Amino acid sequence: MPQVRIVAKNFMDMVASLPTMKLDKLYENAFICEAILRSLPPLAKKYVLQLLFIDIPVTAKSMEEWVLADGFSKHKVAIDRLIQLRVLSETVDRKKDTTYRLNPMFQLNIQKHIVHGGILPREPMPSNITVRIPSLEELDAYAIRQWECFLLHLISSGEAEKTTNISPSMMKVFQRGLLSQKDDKEPPMLTESGFQFLLMDTNAQLWYIIREYITHSEDRGVDSADLISFMLELSFHVTGEAYNVNTLNDIQRSIIRDLADLGLVRLQQGRKDCWFIPTKLATNLSICLADTSARKQGFVVVETNFRMYAYSTSKLHCEILRLFARVEYQLPNLIVGAITKESLYKAFLNGITAEQIISFLQQNAHPRVAERIPSVPENVTDQIRLWESDLNRVEMIPSHLIDEFPSRDVFEAACDFARECGGLLWESSQKMRLVVKGESFPQMKEFLRRQKQ
Amino acid sequence: MSPPVPSKLLTDDVSLIMVLIDTNPYFWSSIESNFTFAKFLSHVLAFLNSILLLNQLNQVVVIATGFNSCSYVFDSSISVSPRAESLLPKLEEFVENDESLSQDNGSVDGVGSSLLSGALSMALCYIQRVFRSGPLHPQPRILCLHGSPDGPGQYVAIMNSIFSAQRSMVPIDSCVIGSQHSAFLQQASYITGGVYLKPQQMEGLLQYLLTVFATDLHSRNFLQLPKPVGVDFRASCFCHKSTIDMGFICSVCLSIFCRRQKKCSTCGSVFGQTQTQQDPSSSDLKRKTPSSS
Repeated sequence: MPQVRIVAKNFMDMVASLPTMKLDKLYENAFICEAILRSLPPLAKKYVLQLLFIDIPVTAKSMEEWVLADGFSKHKVAIDRLIQLRVLSETVDRKKDTTYRLNPMFQLNIQKHIVHGGILPREPMPSNITVRIPSLEELDAYAIRQWECFLLHLISSGEAEKTTNISPSMMKVFQRGLLSQKDDKEPPMLTESGFQFLLMDTNAQLWYIIREYITHSEDRGVDSADLISFMLELSFHVTGEAYNVNTLNDIQRSIIRDLADLGLVRLQQGRKDCWFIPTKLATNLSICLADTSARKQGFVVVETNFRMYAYSTSKLHCEILRLFARVEYQLPNLIVGAITKESLYKAFLNGITAEQIISFLQQNAHPRVAERIPSVPENVTDQIRLWESDLNRVEMIPSHLIDEFPSRDVFEAACDFARECGGLLWESSQKMRLVVKGESFPQMKEFLRRQKQ
Repeated sequence: MSPPVPSKLLTDDVSLIMVLIDTNPYFWSSIESNFTFAKFLSHVLAFLNSILLLNQLNQVVVIATGFNSCSYVFDSSISVSPRAESLLPKLEEFVENDESLSQDNGSVDGVGSSLLSGALSMALCYIQRVFRSGPLHPQPRILCLHGSPDGPGQYVAIMNSIFSAQRSMVPIDSCVIGSQHSAFLQQASYITGGVYLKPQQMEGLLQYLLTVFATDLHSRNFLQLPKPVGVDFRASCFCHKSTIDMGFICSVCLSIFCRRQKKCSTCGSVFGQTQTQQDPSSSDLKRKTPSSS
């Protein structure tokens, strides 16, 4: 099955790729230590806990004794990740014994958190100043609405009713890699990774966007380390509480405006003060850094007659389904469509593979059908695969045609050589011509030169 | 036997830990070393905080096991504060309540046992509710921080809880804080595949907790954890609730008795007369020996 995740562990890599100085500085912030700890693989988390109150270096040998033989590869992965993030520092002494110890700053921060408890990144505003604070449900609805609006903008700017305030240049940055435009007249097409992006759960999508946002922060003159630490700090705020915007610095204030467009925070203006209210999306930021599996309830029912019923009110879902199915009618809470040969061909032409479509249907199967095995009828999945293989009946191989051989002997020898190295595609002894694979052409050239001498 | 839900829906290390803390005042006053209840609690709170720190989906529920009663004192999923310290007021209230119940009952001889069976049943009830809440739930396990000696009177109830935990694939970890090994907890951990440990140095309780009991079920497949050295399999008889290593077993319902009975008090079957002439040490006398301990 194809990897539906295009951003598996990129956050970790991103932090790990920061220069040493910046990374060490990041660990001075207790929230970052916390977020990093949460994003580690389970075994690595366990090691951090185990080493937390040990102040002397621990030898690699004694750490190896902690694991069973089965878990050795996991152990290696965990240790490597810890070293990569500079949570563990490795020293090799004169006797060639490797010892590890926790980053002192990191260790201190986590110890403090466990024993004394964490502090809030900033105090929420008292409720007598703030007015019209939305309820948690309203806030969730707001966040989802903002996010879907943003996604609709992202895939087809014409479909969205509302406009977002995200600058077109930022939008271009987000769209890069997800959409491709052959020429200016045609509307941009969704690429393969763009489709994968739409299939991911919200947290993963969010992280992809945030990652793009962070990587291009330097263009706007914002330090990426500052941005990362602010984002992580934001994830430790309490959902639904109001925080004064005045507590932020100038850079953070401009960031928070962008985040409001993505639905991470809701900005409200009071009589005197302006405040932001983090939504669930913001507080989930540090969750989506970890490799959690998708936790979303499905909505699609596919029947054996290729009809598809999607119980969803979301316009975005409709747009996604439209990518590979013919949407027939839309009711307030139901989208009815059919998977047809034509609709699938359109999808295949856009670079979406049959496996992706099938895994999308399976992952988003309605709870009623999700219990059944298979959740998508077999005849439908088989047919989707068959239609895809129909398109691939002709295989393209880059190749070279060689002709005008000086003699039949040279031709025969060349044919034999090509056959030996497995590059012969076609030969015609009458016309003394042969076709070889592109990759074996340099060898052929070399061979023919030797024949000439 | 299969787990109630396919485990592929769960993330690897998201766990629900039911922590049972022993608050038996008779036990804590009997401890000679300077490891007081306050110290114990500070270690446990640090442990709970570290569990909550590891993953924001982790859930911790604390059940206080008193002398006369037991009660939920903390549930991180409904608690206002994400910190385990917020259990303190409720714990204090519980201890007072528990004490007032004791006064009605009159005096107790010795340390007395705490209500482990009740706490285990409460933990299992909670876990069953989580199982039924939907296909996405954390992986549950039970951790008993227990010090009071076993109460043979609770034998049947505890064994039933253990088997029910085994059926729903919930491991019971036990960390014995008292000076004596606990046969009940040894059996509980052995049967459910949990870890049984009696720390040598009480001062380092937190390190024991972090090293052994903080391990999530997924990582347990890869790590060396303390193995049982010996399990005391002795049972309690149903008639006088005393621990026995030899006794009589009803051939119909498997109830255990320390003395010959004419009729089984559990299922009412009348035992045959023929065996009365025989020496009691033969046929229906079954020996249950401790493997070592």
